[in-house]
Order: sequence, then structure tokens, then C-alpha cells
Amino acid sequence: MAAVAIHQFAQCITCHAWSPDQSMVAFCPNNHEVHIYKLFGEKWERVHVLQKHDQIVSGIDWSVRSNKIVTVSHDRNSYVWNQEASEWVPTLVILRLNRAALCVQWCPKENKFAVGSGAKTVCICYYEKENNWWVSKLIRKKHNSSVTSVAWHPNNILLATTSTDGKCRVFSTFIKGVDSRESGASSSSNLKFGEQIAQLDLSFTWAFGVRWSPSGNTLAYAGHNSMIYFIEDVGSSPSAQNVALRDLPLRDILFVSEKLVIGVGFDCNPMVFTADETGLWSFVKFLDEKKIAPSSSKYGSQFSEAFGKLYGQSKPAINSDTVESSRPRGGAHENCISCIVPLRKPGDTIVRRFSTSGLDGKVVIWELDGHH
Amino acid sequence: MATEGFVDDENLEAIVTRIEQKSRKIESLLKQSKPVEALKTALEGSPLKTRDERCKSAIWIVVHRAIMAIKDVDAMFSSLDPEYYDTLMKYLYRGLATGDRPTCDQCLKIHEKLTEKAGLGCILRSLADTVNTV
Repeated sequence: MAAVAIHQFAQCITCHAWSPDQSMVAFCPNNHEVHIYKLFGEKWERVHVLQKHDQIVSGIDWSVRSNKIVTVSHDRNSYVWNQEASEWVPTLVILRLNRAALCVQWCPKENKFAVGSGAKTVCICYYEKENNWWVSKLIRKKHNSSVTSVAWHPNNILLATTSTDGKCRVFSTFIKGVDSRESGASSSSNLKFGEQIAQLDLSFTWAFGVRWSPSGNTLAYAGHNSMIYFIEDVGSSPSAQNVALRDLPLRDILFVSEKLVIGVGFDCNPMVFTADETGLWSFVKFLDEKKIAPSSSKYGSQFSEAFGKLYGQSKPAINSDTVESSRPRGGAHENCISCIVPLRKPGDTIVRRFSTSGLDGKVVIWELDGHH
Repeated sequence: MATEGFVDDENLEAIVTRIEQKSRKIESLLKQSKPVEALKTALEGSPLKTRDERCKSAIWIVVHRAIMAIKDVDAMFSSLDPEYYDTLMKYLYRGLATGDRPTCDQCLKIHEKLTEKAGLGCILRSLADTVNTV
């Protein structure tokens, strides 16, 4: 199992999203634009450039049923783009932020989207038909630092957030007139907008990449201290598992199924985590089989030169395994992977394909084989 | 999921007593030429749930003694439980920060082997955790 397609689109990509039929990909090439590329046979061609933001576009999400693109940027704005004939028409969403917007996600029903920002707030935006515009409601309380990632629970009401204050929080985003009071919601007494359902204080460092499992029973997020946290039963009696990583931290994660998680980050290689029958999570392996040749340094080409110098201080002979730090690692990605997106076929409950994008400007498509 | 509480000042007396007990146990283990046991004893219970710098310094002296007594680093790793790796890494960095030549030499020697065993994640955890410091 390895990468099925690798495309070098730009020098660096901040985030990406796929069209509903997966024929087009939208990404930000580390500037103020969003480029949309379409696959014609074997070649990717640029079909649209969305130019409205003044600064880096930090988040893009493309809704599957309503075919709307939402973009957020460091310029504190958000646009919802609608396709009219062959043009993408932007609608400004006034987020009322005084700091950069960092991440965005459409809710499962696609009637709301959540934006995490450096202003320590989360904006929940919904469409007001009477005025034909998007309204932003802010969750101002609780966060002590930038909100790095947001994730919607399948019930369309609960939202999990991670922040650089090290905590993962779950809020209710119930909005009267937009959401209906269903008996299915587990914490129906806490349906007030902005109410904090839970606060998870597991990481002493920045937290990134929070995601819910498909059923909403499990929550997972990555800590910058090379840990990944899995929490069950968040609403009632949370039980957490801390899995320590051997290598570098993760930036984003994806639930392939209830028991399989893929994490991506600074190792430039997706990591597979599974839960066994007892519910115990553990690291299985790296997805990309192309590893550095065994004759090179034990620590990986990035660090061997630095370590050689460090250990050379105490020993008279320099470590003979030192290699240049600029040698490529031999995998699909050459730099940190910052974004992982599922590629679901309609009707599939399990994700079989997903794509990753990173600071090397590549979008890589991965396919999982049968035995997972 | 609340943060574990830190020990308040009244319990400092209890901590100081524990450190003294540890110190005596370690001295006796070193006399019996059991440096690895001594290191395990030193690392047990660390990092302390206290912000008091004097306690941390007192424990550091004891851990330092055990670290400097290690002669065979490979043998040490074959009997040291992985649960101590993260804590040991924090103490190695404290040792490297002293600038004292013999201490740094020893800490670098152990750091190389520990990184091989535990990976870069261990270094990340010792650097990133600004709450449970040693």
C-alpha cells in the first residue's frame, strides 16, 4: 500500500479540498489565491483562480451536496463561493474577527460552517435567507489561545476545537431556527449555543488536528509533544488514551473507520493507528514504504548532520555515518504534511482513499488495500 | 480530565524527607556497584508535582549522582523500563545545561543512546512539556 498518485502543484500548499465528484481540487499555493485544477485525462490543468483574499488562505472546504466552497484567510475574512455557470462568485462573510482565521469546516448538514481563529474565538456561520447573507455567531469564551482546528460531530450540533493553549474542547453550536431539537442529541440539556460540554486537558503543548470518529463515539487529536490522544465517551464519562509517538509530531489526522486513524505531520509520512478488540489504540506503521537506505545515518537525513556535530563534541572521532541534510527522504512527500482529506465514494461508510498536501507543494493520493 | 494538582507548601517537608531517603538508598546502591538500580530509584516519582525550585534542585543532585556513576550505557538500557525514558531525557537536558564538562560528556553519551532507543519523539516531549519540568 502506497501512494497512487503524486502531483506537484506549487512550491508550497497550505490547505486543499476536493470537488464533490473529485474531478477538481482546490488549494492555496501559499499566497492569497485559491487555485482550482481539473484532471483532463492524465494532465492537471488550472481552470479557476479565486482571487478575493488579501493574505494567505489558511482553510478551504468544499461541501459535497451543495457544492459550495468556503475559504478563510489570515486577512480575517471568509468567502463562500457559489458556482454560477462557469464562474465562482464570492459572498463575503463578516466574521467579526480581529485576528487571522486559521481553519474552516462545513458541518455535516452543510447549513453551518465553523472557523477557528487567532482571536481565541470560534465563528459559527449560518445562512440567513431573509437577508441573503451569512451571519457569524462567535464563541468568545474559554479559549486562551489560537484555535488551530475544528471538527463537527455527526449530530451537526457538537463542535470540537483544539487550541495552542493545549486543550481540546467540545461546544454546543445549537442555533434556533437553523438546528432542530432532536431527541438523538446525547446532551440535550446543554443545547445552549456556546455551552462547553467538555474540556480535555491532556496535552501540555499545542494541540492540532481534532477529528471525530464516524459514529461520533471517539475523539482524537494530536499534541505537539509527539503524542496522539484518543478519547471515548466524551459527553458522559471520558476515558483517554495517550499514545506516544516515536518520531516527530502530527499536524492533522483522519478517521478512516471507527478503529483506524491516519496521522500526518512532520515525518512527511502518514502514520497508521488502530484500536484492537479491547479498544486499545497503538501505532501500526508508516504508510509510505520508501524509507531511507539503511547505510545512511540512524536518525534520518534531516538530523544526522546535526547529531553528528553534537555527539562529535564529546568524542574525538566524528560519526562516519554523517550524510548531508539536504538529501531527499525518498518518500512521496518531501516536507511536512499539513493537511489530510478523505476521498469518499458516495454510499461508502469506510474511507478507502484520501489525499494529503504539504509544505512541499505536493498533493498525494493514497489508497488503502483490502486488509484494513 | 482536570490538571493534576500540584503539591502545596505544607507538603514540601514530606518531599524533602523523601528526597533524603532516596539519596541514602542511592548511595548504598552505588556502594554495591548497582548504578542502574540507583538511576531507577532516582528517576522514580519524577517529575515532582511541585513548582518549588529547591525541591527540583535537590532531586537533580541525586539524579546527577546516579547518572555520573553509570559506566556501561548499553547495559543500563537493557534493564531500564521505557516508562523512564521521557523523564531521563528531561534530566539529560538539565545536565547539558550545566555546562560542566564531565557532566556534559556523560549526558551526551547517554543522550545518543537514548535517542536511538526512544526516538525523536522523546526529545520533543522533554522540550515541549513546560509544565512538568525537572
